[in-house]
Amino acid sequence: MELRRYIARRMIQVIIIFFVILTVLFLLFRWAPGDPVSMMVDPDMTQEDAEILIVQLGLDQPIGVQYFIYIKNFFTGHFGFSFHYGEPVVDIIWNRLPNTILLFTTSIILSAFVGVFLGKIASWHKGKKTDSLMTIGALVTHTLFLPWLALILIWVFGYKFGWFPINGMISEEVWLDPEAGFIARAIDVMYHMVLPLFTLFLIHFGAYLLIMRSSMLETLKEDYILTARAKGLEEKVIRDHHAAPNAALPVVTSVGLSLAFSINGGALTETVFTWPGIGRELVSSVSQNDYPLALACFLMIAGVVLVSNLVVDVLYAYLDPRIRY
Amino acid sequence: MLASFLEGWSIFRQNLLGKIGLVLLIIFALMAVCSYIPPWINPMYNPMTGVDPAITSCTPPSLRHWLGTDFMGRDILSQLLAGARIAFMVGISAAVMSIVLGVSIGMTAGYMGRFVDTLLMRLADMIMVMPTLLVVLLLSAVFGQLSIWTIVLIIALFRWPGVSRIIRGQTLSLKQRPFIEAAKVAGASHFRIIFVHIMPNVLPLAFLFMTFRVTSAIITEAALAFLGFGDPGTVSWGMMLQWVWKTGHMFQAPYWLLPPGICISLITLSFYMLGRAMDEVLDPRLRKEDQTD
Amino acid sequence: MALLEVENVSIGYNTKKGYLKAVEEVSFTLEEGASLGFVGESGCGKTTIGMALMGLLPPNGSVREGRILFEGKNTLRMPDEEIRKIRWRKMAMIFQAAMNALNPVQRVGNQIAEAILIHDSSVGKEEAMGQVETLFELVGIPRDRLRDYPHQYSGGMKQRAVIAMALACHPKLIIADEPTTALDVIVQSQILGEIKDLQKEFNLSIIFISHDISIVADMCKEIGVMYAGQLVEFGPREEVFESPSHPYTKALLSSFPTVTGKKSDLIPIPGETPNLVVPPTGCRFCDRCSGPGPSCKTETPAWVEIGPRHKTLCCRC
Repeated sequence: MELRRYIARRMIQVIIIFFVILTVLFLLFRWAPGDPVSMMVDPDMTQEDAEILIVQLGLDQPIGVQYFIYIKNFFTGHFGFSFHYGEPVVDIIWNRLPNTILLFTTSIILSAFVGVFLGKIASWHKGKKTDSLMTIGALVTHTLFLPWLALILIWVFGYKFGWFPINGMISEEVWLDPEAGFIARAIDVMYHMVLPLFTLFLIHFGAYLLIMRSSMLETLKEDYILTARAKGLEEKVIRDHHAAPNAALPVVTSVGLSLAFSINGGALTETVFTWPGIGRELVSSVSQNDYPLALACFLMIAGVVLVSNLVVDVLYAYLDPRIRY
Repeated sequence: MLASFLEGWSIFRQNLLGKIGLVLLIIFALMAVCSYIPPWINPMYNPMTGVDPAITSCTPPSLRHWLGTDFMGRDILSQLLAGARIAFMVGISAAVMSIVLGVSIGMTAGYMGRFVDTLLMRLADMIMVMPTLLVVLLLSAVFGQLSIWTIVLIIALFRWPGVSRIIRGQTLSLKQRPFIEAAKVAGASHFRIIFVHIMPNVLPLAFLFMTFRVTSAIITEAALAFLGFGDPGTVSWGMMLQWVWKTGHMFQAPYWLLPPGICISLITLSFYMLGRAMDEVLDPRLRKEDQTD
Repeated sequence: MALLEVENVSIGYNTKKGYLKAVEEVSFTLEEGASLGFVGESGCGKTTIGMALMGLLPPNGSVREGRILFEGKNTLRMPDEEIRKIRWRKMAMIFQAAMNALNPVQRVGNQIAEAILIHDSSVGKEEAMGQVETLFELVGIPRDRLRDYPHQYSGGMKQRAVIAMALACHPKLIIADEPTTALDVIVQSQILGEIKDLQKEFNLSIIFISHDISIVADMCKEIGVMYAGQLVEFGPREEVFESPSHPYTKALLSSFPTVTGKKSDLIPIPGETPNLVVPPTGCRFCDRCSGPGPSCKTETPAWVEIGPRHKTLCCRC
């Protein structure tokens, strides 16, 4: 089936791009000022440990061999040791990854759905107050500076009103309590997620609203809408069943195109709210010169973006029968 | 040329958002220009080094300091004005650079076709996937603190793909036109055809994209400065936010917290509105029309 | 009682340049099982009439005066819900450019079934699909194409699907607006033949709209010639074709080549269609007429009866 071939093709593309990135990073770290050893090996390590690590990472070998060892290490999950935490980098990454995915995915889905819904309504009431309000609202929220918005929300809702926690993902009391069940812990995480999620949501939904709105206006001019009307369908049914599914397709494309932008926002949000995700880890590892961790975080983020792109493309192919068949 | 400019202007004038955007941008430009005034009046107003001898901590707005002072006693208003200057500088240079790159690459890809085209577009695809902010972060980890111009250059290097795609599309359709055939027959070299014949037709579209590039450059620089990776020798709005956040004055000093954020958001908004209005001027399909049968 | 009676209908559009008088005082009647064709150049108002009959004028269009009596009731005075019930159930339309008349993200079978399901609540989904299968057989589309999407159909097939959709609720009247314009000649004649057969089989009334007088003459028993929003000649096809009386009809007939018959020079009609925002006084065709009379420019022409159902709007005839 066409769809399967399409997915296979895209997956190969993702793998190729990832390899290119992997290689570029390898070269980058070799080009950097300072020698690779000081980059990858913690200066505070003992001499024996350092030597073991050097052999493992192949830092004593010629560059060609180094490259192969580097790739091999990547597949076996061996990224070295974090200078700052003193733990294997791969453990830290695995620990942080789910948190980022949770926040990132939820925010995108939420903003896309709300954006599409409101955009549909705005196009409905084109030219009237509701439309102007929504359009201006979308414009203004979309252009707010994310870190600043985050700070304002923390100030107002966290500090002044005290409604929501302003940092971290969990409250220790809840998680250390042996009697706390899964639900109590889940609620705790969600409680902490409200402000960061709201920040990301506010910044992103506006774009989707505007796109859906103009897409609806275009779609409503199409001939098949006239046909639907001629068939005797109610306006509401026409808009929801005939126009909206067509109009929503460009929004899906737009989600895919703005993934890089979204992940920037994700990293900023994690940093301000000290949400323990990969974005925040990247920022802090860079400021602490923790090279192995920084490198791995970046790779992981690149992977997340590539995979999300793939998911969005496949979703689009599934939704638009013209691609599937 | 003049006639089409005037026609464009009259369409632009009808667009309320475009006008608001333009007005706001002029205000920001004035701010940037005025940034030279306060230090000239009195060295204590210098955004980076100016310290009011009488004040050594965060103070609210007063007659001496219209927006108050930061935790070191530096005047916030002069910092804000200097930030406007940096914003324009960063935004416009990064935008111009990425447009120059994007247009050249897009035209070359569209015109040369086949292998060159595929290669360039694959490259564009890969770069487009990268989150610019995080790339700069990683680079500053490897190469140490980056100067503002380096930041601008890197931003431009990662922003050209979007432009180049559109320009390539345009070039592809222009390639078929008779006047290009005529030029080829007349013996014009590839270089000449691309830059003398195709480029003028492709530029209006490029200018449109410039407005969006400016905003993304400003935001990227601001985010970088916010995280602490900006050029420590420059005072940008992002830098101001970094200071208010890291020194723990966030909750007590709204006069310090609010202005830089408002400025970044407003300048983004105004460039966006301007860009949308220009979009309407350039693309007749977007203009508001009444329906005829 | 005639199935459709159009009395003195005038339709206009509000445009940026002013109020465009698209249709001016058009009247005609249509019996059950009869076929009527409207022919004229683009912009003459024929599509507008079709849209007005279905109540599908765009927001800036309105019927300024007159009545449209369908089965004795004035559709212009009906509330929305009543019109929706008539649409498709009693009166259906085959649109120009069937290419885009089908929703690209829905399966063709489902779209046609939708028409059935809206108008008959007693029918279930299964039954409706069964009916769609029968319709497909009627119009000559293989059954296994039911679950396909519109982009998988060829041009001719799409047109047939649109025809099947129009027939879905067994309407009494079908308005076909340039249904074959986008198709090549061979498919065109196939489809026209099929429409004729269907009309006979179901005793449908058809209003056929086209710019091609030869198609209209082939398909319809009566012809209405339109120019600049006015009906300038109306009558049985034999009479209109063989002895046209309005100068425009005559000019229209001589600007079409014939395969058989004498080879003569094609005579194009000089000039352009008039501005419908500010229409000229007197006869609207006067400027392009080959033989205007003295009062043609000043007097509004009136209907002249030539035969029992043959009339023309001309001062000199």
